[in-house]
Amino acid sequence: MDDQRPNPDALLDAIKSNDRKTGKLRIFFGYAAGVGKTYSMLDEARRQYENGVDLLVGYIEPHTRPETMQLMEGLPLLPPLAVPYKNISLKEFDLDAALARKPELILVDELAHTNPPGMRNKKRYQDVEELMKAGIDVYTTLNVQHMESLNDVVQDITGVYVRETVPDYIFDYADVKLVDIGPDELLKRFADGKIYSPERAAAAMKRFFTTDNLRALREVSMRKTADRIGHDTPVSAGSATRQPGTKLLVCISSAPSAAKCILWTARMAEALHAPWTVLHVETSDTKYVGEAHKQTLHGHLEMAERLGGEIVTLYGEDSAAAVAEYAAMAGITDIVIGIKKKSILDFFRGDFADRLIGMLGNIEIHIISGGSPMPEAAGKKQRAPGRVVSFSWRDTLITAAALALATVVSTVLRHLGIGDQSAILVYILSVVIVSRVTTGYMYGALASLLSVLLFNFFFTEPRFTFNVIRPDHPVTFAIMLAVALITSALTGRVKEQAKSAVEREHRTEVMYEINRKLLITHGVRAIAELVNGYISNIFERPAVLYTGNPAEELPVSSGTEPILLSPNERAVAHWVFMNGKHAGSGTGTLAGAVGYYMPFIAQGRVLGVMGLAGGGAGWPEHKDRVFLQIAGSLAAMALERQRLSDEQRQASVDAEKEKIRGDLLRAVSHDLRTPLTGIVGASSAILDTGDRLDKKEMKTLVAGIKEDSQWLLHMVENLLSVTRTGGGQFSVHKTVEAAEEVVAEAVSRIKSRFPGLNMKTRVPREPLMVPMDGTLIAQVLINLLDNAARHSGSGAEIRLAVKEENDSAVFEVFDNGGGIEEADLPHLFEGRSADSVRGAGLGLSICMSIVKAHGGNMEAMNNPGGGALFRFILPLENTP
Amino acid sequence: MKQLILVVEDESNIANLITSVLKSADYQVVHAEKGHEALSLVASHNPDVIILDLGLPDMDGMEVIRAVREFYASPVIVVSARTHEREKVAALDGGADDYIMKPFSPPELLARIRTALRHKNMYTGGSAEPLSPLHTGGLVIDYDRRVVTLNGDMVHFTPVEYKIVTILGRHIGKVLTHDFIMKHVWGPYVNENHALRVNMANIRRKIEKNPAEPEYIVTEIGVGYRMTERE
Repeated sequence: MDDQRPNPDALLDAIKSNDRKTGKLRIFFGYAAGVGKTYSMLDEARRQYENGVDLLVGYIEPHTRPETMQLMEGLPLLPPLAVPYKNISLKEFDLDAALARKPELILVDELAHTNPPGMRNKKRYQDVEELMKAGIDVYTTLNVQHMESLNDVVQDITGVYVRETVPDYIFDYADVKLVDIGPDELLKRFADGKIYSPERAAAAMKRFFTTDNLRALREVSMRKTADRIGHDTPVSAGSATRQPGTKLLVCISSAPSAAKCILWTARMAEALHAPWTVLHVETSDTKYVGEAHKQTLHGHLEMAERLGGEIVTLYGEDSAAAVAEYAAMAGITDIVIGIKKKSILDFFRGDFADRLIGMLGNIEIHIISGGSPMPEAAGKKQRAPGRVVSFSWRDTLITAAALALATVVSTVLRHLGIGDQSAILVYILSVVIVSRVTTGYMYGALASLLSVLLFNFFFTEPRFTFNVIRPDHPVTFAIMLAVALITSALTGRVKEQAKSAVEREHRTEVMYEINRKLLITHGVRAIAELVNGYISNIFERPAVLYTGNPAEELPVSSGTEPILLSPNERAVAHWVFMNGKHAGSGTGTLAGAVGYYMPFIAQGRVLGVMGLAGGGAGWPEHKDRVFLQIAGSLAAMALERQRLSDEQRQASVDAEKEKIRGDLLRAVSHDLRTPLTGIVGASSAILDTGDRLDKKEMKTLVAGIKEDSQWLLHMVENLLSVTRTGGGQFSVHKTVEAAEEVVAEAVSRIKSRFPGLNMKTRVPREPLMVPMDGTLIAQVLINLLDNAARHSGSGAEIRLAVKEENDSAVFEVFDNGGGIEEADLPHLFEGRSADSVRGAGLGLSICMSIVKAHGGNMEAMNNPGGGALFRFILPLENTP
Repeated sequence: MKQLILVVEDESNIANLITSVLKSADYQVVHAEKGHEALSLVASHNPDVIILDLGLPDMDGMEVIRAVREFYASPVIVVSARTHEREKVAALDGGADDYIMKPFSPPELLARIRTALRHKNMYTGGSAEPLSPLHTGGLVIDYDRRVVTLNGDMVHFTPVEYKIVTILGRHIGKVLTHDFIMKHVWGPYVNENHALRVNMANIRRKIEKNPAEPEYIVTEIGVGYRMTERE
């Protein structure tokens, strides 16, 4: 009874150790500097310390007020790490020392802090996450203006743009303590110089510390905390804020102002407890936006991901139609869009918002004003110069040739008396051709312009001048130019779309191909090589893949340069494996690495890490990352499947072993009893009545003892060979042996056992070398010969032949005895002992498992000429 | 004078059997049950042959061989119930002269003892003297003339084959391990396992009627080769 009841102490320990798995986070949250966050954090910590908690002060901002500093006295401090940065030495939180020290509770001030370059993590909240992952509880402080989703709200209130932000999900798993004092009290403290030094105070007072600002900030922070509490408590039915089925969609562009739409939607979604999606439509226009825009978009998508939005990228020419279609399909109830500057194109087809409204049925549209642009990203919309104005000899020649040809054709047409209209069409045709075959828009536009000039020069009166005399000509030129330009733009666009469709198609195809191949790929290594090969190919850069902990596993890598295999890179991969998050080049963690690393996860378990050589800021793009993620999950699925099938195979091997062992024991205990009975009986007869037996009787008894003993010996040898094969499974140690030596051993043993035996052996003229465990194969031959000798009766002839056939060694044992009963043939090797002939069945089953363990096979049949034939083959393939 | 044999065996049934077999063959016998006892008996009696069971209660048989070999040059025959070739090879390479597997028949044991004693006399006769030609069955090895004949006909060996045949001939009746032969033929740092097998197969084709039923050189699977003594 006792051992079935769980021990309560053990249970408690188990609960505690589960708790220890990830640390807890407590955020001391305030609406402005000086409300006393650090103070109350230290105060709370002090109490914990006095209660015996193993506490460490990890980092406290050095500008902390004196009365706060006093609270720190006596608490264990972690020495800060000195980081050289632009000729000065910064004091930073020493993450690795903290992880090594591993206290129960650590204090790290200023959650929103940005680490200087060169540190492992870009942001302090990432440090904090690592601490929690290591099972350490963390106390930290945060001001409301650093919450990512409130960033724009705070900017609207204070006019100050805050760069250092913390994603909201951090807030979600933290225990938030609001530290609050009234704005008047705060201002008083401020005026007293308790918060900033007087010279900084003056500047701050003007911009930030006004009563209105503080009131507004206080309200925002309180509301945020209240929302947080609302999240924790289940929403009661009929609650006003709950709108069942609400689904938000925010459409964004690469414009910096789109951030505001995302933040607005995120806040809205949180308030409504609704899921939300960020949608970006990629059109041919967005293809050629500059690098700065690409990065802005990348930043938007990352931010949305941090805030908990789902990200969708669509491809299409008419973005309004794409959005409408998606919204209808995904059951969106609210769409959020920003105000867009009108462009020429809108003049033709209508404003984006108008068209969207026209296409939507029951969906609400929220239009967010652009607001003040975020300063860092306020770059002018610029076209990437490299793509639009790109010079190439090939394209120049094509353009020149096309226009020359058009001129020649038009001249011919003119001579044939066909009018000017045809010439115009021929030129436009040449423009279409140029747009189709050259790169970018430039040559198309250039050809449009040149064709108008050429037409003017060659075909309008006065000819061979650029002069115009007829009044309708300028109109003709203008229309011709417009038609040429629009045609060239449209052609270029169609081409681009076709190109990107091909690229998408290709990726989808590759994905299907990977999936299809994974289904027929077996073995962890093969799976890893397959996936890695495809990834490396499709991104055209070196890739690496670990199917386990990178600190222990050997990676699968491709690409000529082993740049991804250095110890540093491996350490990054290891970090990714341990933390289950992406890192390396282009990310916020360990950004100095050469490679970008992503974990692949199945059922919450990190199965491995894949890495790709990075490609500058903003790489990998969202779509690349999605592709990697899908490839990763395919690999994870395949690996998981492999693991399961390995486990299953192992289980069936174990079961098979167990079965063999059981059969063996049963057969052995039965078979041993019979000869032992004979030995015991005969020897006691001799001992008890020896003097009354005559010499002949005595000799019969002794001969019986000897025969039974020899049979027992034979049994024991068989049993020993079973232990050598480990129960018949895959564990023979092969060395190259000459087949004839093994045959000779078996023959000499059988001859000493059956001295009068008529036996013939034949071995190949060329010595045949076979990889095998010689003792075991000799044992097989002994069993077969023994069997033949016993079954075929006296005077029978036994033949043993060895030959080489199809890269295998073939061993055959014939006899000309009575043969095998047809009914017994199928069960011969199953290990059932035939009562009539002791041990024969067991011996044969052992033979079979020995041969199988060598990768060979054995069969039994009746000779057409009478007698039995046993044949087994051993593979020769690993002959050196 | 009767020759003295030390039997080291802890199993009393087997010890009794061996003792009575040896006594009936006119040897003098001393018996030890333990390894330490055996070592002191070797020192005090200087037996002509030691029959040593590897499974002893106080010492590992291999240790006994090592200890004995420090001051004793006469033959050691190992008796073992362990079947794996690794132990046989280890015993032979560790200094044993021959081994015999349990269960063995009395005639087999006596034959091994006779072989061992003959070798003892051969070796103590001094190695500088020229060896007389070896006769076994129809096979004659004339070391001086470097000629091997079979039933009076010359056998043409390659130099390597000749080396293998002579090393087996010099230790006739004794198992030589693969390692021992390879070291003797190719030198200490070469692993010519495959070459040894091939050469042995070729030798067999030159001197045996049927390579699968050899008369002169028999194979001990996993251990090595032995040249048999024949009339």
